[in-house]
Amino acid sequence: MQITSPVRPPLVTGGKTYHDVTADVCRPVESAPSKAWIAALGFALMLLGFGLYCVYRLVWDGIGMWGLNKTIGWSWDITNFVWWIGIGHAGTLISAILLLFRQKWRTSINRAAEAMTIFAVISAAMFPVLHMGRPWVGYWPLPLPNTFGSLWVNFNSPLLWDVFAISTYFTVSLVFWYLGLVPDFATIRDRATSKFRQIFYGMLSMGWDGAAKTWSRYEAVALVLAGVSAPLVLSVHTIVSMDFATSLIPGWHTTIFPPYFVSGAIFSGFAMVLTLMLITRVVFRLEDYITIEHIESMNKIIVLTGSIVGIAYISELFIAWYSGVPYESYCFLNRATGPYWWAYAMMMSCNVITPQLFWLRFVRRNIVITFILSIIVNIGMWFERFVIICTSLHRDYLPSSWAYFKPTMYDVGVYLFSFGVFFTLFFLFTKFFPVINMSELKAVLKSSSGSSNSQSNKRA
Amino acid sequence: MASGKKFLVGVFDDESVLIDAIGKIRNSGVKIFEVYTPFPVHGLDSALGYKPSNLPVAAFLFGLVGTITALTMEIGMMGFDWPMIIGGKPFIPLPDFIPITFELTVLFSALGMVFTFLIISDLNPFKLPLMFDKRSTDDKFVMAIDIESNHSRSNEETITSLLRENGASEVNSKTFE
Amino acid sequence: MKDNQKKYWKSIEELNNDPEFLKHAHEEFPSYLPLKEAHPSKSSEEGTGRRDFLKLMGFGVAAVSLAACEAPVKRAIPYLVKPEEVEPGIANWYASSYINGSDYCSILVKTREGRPIKIEGNALSGITKGGTNARAQASVLSIYDEKRLKNFVVKGKEVRVKDNNSEYASLDKEIISALKGVSNKGIRIVSRTIYSPTTLKVIEDFKAKFPTTEHIMYDAVSVYGMRQANKKSFGREIIPSYNFSNADVVVSFGADFLGTWISPIEYSKQYSVKRKVSETNKTMLRHYQIETNLSLTGANADYREAIKPSEEGLFLAALYTKITGQKLNVPAARESKILDMAADDLKGAKGKSLVVSASNDVNIQLLVNEINNALDSYGSTINISRACNFKKGNDAQALKFVDDVAAGKIGAIIFLDADPVYDLPNGAKLKSALKSVPVKISTSLKIDETSEFCEYLCPGLHFLEHWNDAEPYEEYYSMVQPAIAPIFRGNRALEESLLIWAGAEGDYYTYLRKNWQDNILQKGIGFDEAWDAIVQNGIYEPKAKGKDLSRRASGGRRVADSISGQTDVNLIPIEEPIDASIQQGNQNYTFSSNLASIATPIANYSKALSSGGMELAIYETIAMGDGSMANNSWLQELPDPITKATWGNYVTVSNADARNLKLKQGQIVSIKVGNQSLTAPIVVQPGQTKGTLGLAVGYGRSRAGISGENIGVNAFPIIATSLGNFSYALGKVTLTPTEGFYQIATTQTHDTVMERESIIQTSTLDEYKDPNWKKPFTPAVHTQGKEVPAGSPDTDFWYRHDYPNHLWSMMIDLNSCTGCGACVVSCIAENNIAIVGRQEVINRREMHWMRIDRYYSSDMTKAKAEEEGIGAVKMYREMEDPADNPEVVFQPMLCQQCNHAPCETVCPVAATSHSSEGLNQMVYNRCIGTRYCANNCPYKVRRFNWFKYFDNDKFPVNTSMSNLLGRMVLNPDVTVRSRGVMEKCSFCVQRIQAGKLTAKKEGRRPKDGEIVTACASACPTNAIVFGDFNDKKAKVYNELTTENRKRSYAVLQELNTRPNVYYLTKIRNKKA
Repeated sequence: MQITSPVRPPLVTGGKTYHDVTADVCRPVESAPSKAWIAALGFALMLLGFGLYCVYRLVWDGIGMWGLNKTIGWSWDITNFVWWIGIGHAGTLISAILLLFRQKWRTSINRAAEAMTIFAVISAAMFPVLHMGRPWVGYWPLPLPNTFGSLWVNFNSPLLWDVFAISTYFTVSLVFWYLGLVPDFATIRDRATSKFRQIFYGMLSMGWDGAAKTWSRYEAVALVLAGVSAPLVLSVHTIVSMDFATSLIPGWHTTIFPPYFVSGAIFSGFAMVLTLMLITRVVFRLEDYITIEHIESMNKIIVLTGSIVGIAYISELFIAWYSGVPYESYCFLNRATGPYWWAYAMMMSCNVITPQLFWLRFVRRNIVITFILSIIVNIGMWFERFVIICTSLHRDYLPSSWAYFKPTMYDVGVYLFSFGVFFTLFFLFTKFFPVINMSELKAVLKSSSGSSNSQSNKRA
Repeated sequence: MASGKKFLVGVFDDESVLIDAIGKIRNSGVKIFEVYTPFPVHGLDSALGYKPSNLPVAAFLFGLVGTITALTMEIGMMGFDWPMIIGGKPFIPLPDFIPITFELTVLFSALGMVFTFLIISDLNPFKLPLMFDKRSTDDKFVMAIDIESNHSRSNEETITSLLRENGASEVNSKTFE
Repeated sequence: MKDNQKKYWKSIEELNNDPEFLKHAHEEFPSYLPLKEAHPSKSSEEGTGRRDFLKLMGFGVAAVSLAACEAPVKRAIPYLVKPEEVEPGIANWYASSYINGSDYCSILVKTREGRPIKIEGNALSGITKGGTNARAQASVLSIYDEKRLKNFVVKGKEVRVKDNNSEYASLDKEIISALKGVSNKGIRIVSRTIYSPTTLKVIEDFKAKFPTTEHIMYDAVSVYGMRQANKKSFGREIIPSYNFSNADVVVSFGADFLGTWISPIEYSKQYSVKRKVSETNKTMLRHYQIETNLSLTGANADYREAIKPSEEGLFLAALYTKITGQKLNVPAARESKILDMAADDLKGAKGKSLVVSASNDVNIQLLVNEINNALDSYGSTINISRACNFKKGNDAQALKFVDDVAAGKIGAIIFLDADPVYDLPNGAKLKSALKSVPVKISTSLKIDETSEFCEYLCPGLHFLEHWNDAEPYEEYYSMVQPAIAPIFRGNRALEESLLIWAGAEGDYYTYLRKNWQDNILQKGIGFDEAWDAIVQNGIYEPKAKGKDLSRRASGGRRVADSISGQTDVNLIPIEEPIDASIQQGNQNYTFSSNLASIATPIANYSKALSSGGMELAIYETIAMGDGSMANNSWLQELPDPITKATWGNYVTVSNADARNLKLKQGQIVSIKVGNQSLTAPIVVQPGQTKGTLGLAVGYGRSRAGISGENIGVNAFPIIATSLGNFSYALGKVTLTPTEGFYQIATTQTHDTVMERESIIQTSTLDEYKDPNWKKPFTPAVHTQGKEVPAGSPDTDFWYRHDYPNHLWSMMIDLNSCTGCGACVVSCIAENNIAIVGRQEVINRREMHWMRIDRYYSSDMTKAKAEEEGIGAVKMYREMEDPADNPEVVFQPMLCQQCNHAPCETVCPVAATSHSSEGLNQMVYNRCIGTRYCANNCPYKVRRFNWFKYFDNDKFPVNTSMSNLLGRMVLNPDVTVRSRGVMEKCSFCVQRIQAGKLTAKKEGRRPKDGEIVTACASACPTNAIVFGDFNDKKAKVYNELTTENRKRSYAVLQELNTRPNVYYLTKIRNKKA
């Protein structure tokens, strides 16, 4: 057992026993769906429906349905892609890196965070496919043997690196997440009363019996997976950032992008986790497991990464001036003062200024403010990507081709579609899967719960 | 697996009690068939005398395979099978190959290790678990002792009392047909 | 597909009924049908593209096998290739002439499977010398205009013409009797300028038959004033030949001689010869432009003064005074430094100077003659004895004609392919009066504003469908050879109709030959060989110095030997300085001065224009001209060289007036001139004279077809008349802004180059003369601690690939590029480029591979900001605003074929890669459309197929792909791109391959100039030079390595993309 400083406040409150944990976590899964949940799912499905129509028109008529033009070839599509991918970093980061750092507070949120990661990556992965002129040949970037003979892919292309990075990231995260679920599925299976649930969760749990031998292997696997996931999660956004960093468009061609993008990703990822957890803990009455302590720790990381991002913005501006490259300096001048100044203002205020509030303890510990700020952060991060992608393109080298981008209904609709997919999946997850990792929580319950172990008291 | 066998099942409420019990019982020469816990109890495997798993080695080897696969694919396709002039770069631009090589390394090592784990631990969707006590996935710690394998030295009663002395809240016997 | 075919066959079923066709059907079909069958129809997009192409080929072959069958019968001589050969995949070339109204160009027509698909300039012509312009290039699309009448129409009822033509017989009987019935009342034949001596002879014959006939010739935009002036000065009502290549100083008063004035192609050639500079020749012509609207010519001038139309006379008078010292009795013009400089330069260059004016006012033209006479221009830069037959229209006649009609004096009118109701200033009057005319006959190819009122419509033929001749200059003949038999059985050459109505026998072809034999061809030459040679060369220029017929013919054959018909070696730009023959001929003339009589009228004219209100200058656009080709979507989408606007006309307003009147781009204003008024959106036009407006004619057609109808507003009605001439300068104009807005569809919304020196480099001649002159900007890169020039190998991360065989390169001379846009249309025709229509242009999605960037200078510069301490933000803001009278630079921009192409690196599927000959190749059917390449292209030359542009109802204006007739113009060597793929300039790789193939078959290397891209071959000024950089004899190699090494630069060189396209620094002939 790790030594935890006595001053550190409990991460689980309410003197929970092992059985309470099981009962509390399994309740949503075993009881009938609540009204709130049905309403939420219905809303998600509405988004999905409208989005689906826009996607249909997009695929049927062509990319022209979007507001893009000869100068601005990417705008909302890749903005959304990068935004979702960024969000998709929190989960694996929490489970992998915090596991390596033995941060026990992660245990009650990592399950949901990982789920969010996976759904975010799914939402993100839609865009590279949908933004293609010919999505029906979207599998061509895979180096598949084909009837054309020696027709392979171009390994020089950062876009191809993306394909590998994201599919790897998705697969590994999925495996990591599922592995964590197996023991909990077993718990649900053994509590199950109906035959269907027994079979359903029985198969999901792959015949887990919690034998000591398996546990010891299981822990080894978890540790190594965390070990490989940590660099993986950092590599993904690094590679995404290379889409821009390796190009030669002023505003894209920037060497600080990898660290800048990664911290931005953690920033937005944590914010999204917060948003979701704050909802979940209320909806499923998990206040004892997702406590103010968790929220505060998250907020600390947010203010840290937010400040890193802020520094990145400023150094960008400095380099633009210092480099003496006319195109570079104009690009950044234009970002701040040009036709898209409002996007830049949004980005600055949402990402750099407002998160600074988290330096104040009472803000960090205030649920409402945290909730609002967590949303603001993600708005800001969306604008960051929009600023980088769109405002860099719209005035690049030849003034003759300078143009302006206006989104159409279909830009918005496809974005909403990704939300629909994300929330539908997330709500289904909260209903049918245990949203908190029971086995891990139990493992740390004694060291981190408020009450000294209650078992003996009970027996007495 | 263990059909027709008769087991004594000691149910513990607390992992620390369990750990002490394991030590005492093993010292008294009774072989423990297996212990089932709702969560990974630290120090349990050492108490049971399990050696640390070799899975990390497997992970490393799988990773190696990934690296080799990636480089072979990239160099083979772009350098030999159909070389093309792309952006004036050489036919084998190694720096451009690094990202994908890294990704495949991770992918191979992660998947390889996990599947190895599933196979050696005999986990699959169609496996029916061997449950001595359903509560062992909730809040109970279950110790299973195979009577036949211990009948030479001790019998059911002695083991039962041994368990009770060492803090088992209940002792049941279970037979798998 | 099945239905499509049915549909198609219906549309020209006359063809099927044609017995000759049927006779040949069994020979033609089997060889082609299998081609279709061989390709199972795919459902995927690219499948469709290929299917369409096959359909086209089948279609073309079947439909136009007519041409194959008939050509020999009429003994057409295809250029270079034996007539009986119409082989799929082998192009036939025919020499012919593009004639439309007063446009003329000697051309070569490329036909595939019997379909004309591309027009090139005829280098053998002594007039256009292989140059073309946008309209000539686009004219090939007009053959396949769906709106063309397929049959003749009697009293609004279309009569289907069967093969036996019995219908025509009865029609002719009816018409003849009708004409006889009214012949006592007087018959009028109304036409635009007619170049063809034989057609004129036909009209004479007709007159002989109907003595009361008068022939009215008019021009929509006329120079009648000049003809009258020359009559007064020299006794001949002519336009003289100008020779800009003899001039050192040219002062043009509103004459857009590079764009629309009289014979722009010819003048551009001459002008460019004197504008090219190199290490060995550091002299160039100095060009002053004194005008109201910023014209293409004004944009190319070294010095430009913006004047009001009313000031033109005064400025000319002032100029005259400065030159001769002789005072004229007209109000003094305002002080103008530029006019003073012009005067000094003109005086300094006596005998090597030229003053021209576009004014249609006889007195102003007389004054111009006085000035030219004082400068001894006659005999050097002007040849008065070599009459130019362009613009023979007679304004007075036209006006009188309308009055006669109104007075009910006319019994019958025959409109010979003329549309006076639309393009006469008093067309409205004519329209209402027409009812009173009992017999009205039109030979228009389509139902237009005039022909819709005619009882009899016997549609004539497109100039590529029938035989004719032309005489653009005295004794400079040009052959109009059909490249295809009439597509519609129901059409008939207008000469043929006239002959029949005049009761003559035989068809027009025999008539033409006879006329040549009897009247045109110099005697003592075997007629048949001569005829063959003429037809083969397309021209007959007995007067051309040292260019007798035999050499012309052999010239043609030399070409023929060097290459077997597929590529077109005769596209070699002719570098010989302009034809000395222009000086030939009797040069002794007598100049009779009219100084005394002109001063007062000039003063009055000026007063009349300037008295109150704004002034308005009417002009023609490069694309639309007089509007007769309005239904040509290639032209409608061709950006205007100056405003970069497409699809419609607009009122141009000066920056100053826009500021004062708070007018915004696209705001709709209403213009009132006298009792005429119209509303149009405005374009804020730098260079426009303060207090003046500009408005283009040629738009606002009401009956033209999908691409032409209701595009813009018709400006003809507001044209005034002064002293019996059309006056394109209007005074007393009131402009009232309205609330309405109409977005102008421009392809370029940003006007200045923001002082980005690595894009546009300019210098002045005086600086350039300095032997150690350096181009203003050579980017350097710091690497490994030292500074090396950008693009040098030290800046490379890796070794470079070498291009051992060919290295295709292009050189674009910013000095000679006038921005005329011929290359753009040529590229559209050659590469099957989609036309996307107004809305998509507004969305910035035009598909042109070749574009011409136009940059204005700005008043704000970095230097200025430096000294005035203006902050960066403000500086860049103000840099975006062009100066009120800016310098203009044109920069043709196409794929730069970078050897270190940024686009190639980023494509995930390797759909674009580099060839071993330095070409940046785009593989359409591999492209998945991520658009990453376009984003990463610093030149923004890649075009994405946002929608499916071919046979898609959403793009009806894309006439070359949306309808089956229009598709006949598609180039079968180039894929029609499918939706969702990227496309871009390929350096006309299909031409390169064809050229290499020919050379290979002959076991030699391709000759320089034998392989020419569409843009290079179209250019009237040879500003674009294309060739193999590895060929040490190639022009492009020598220019770039020696002749113009110092001027050459690559755009954005510091990015080290290593383009294969180089630009030559623009040198302005300015005083230091």
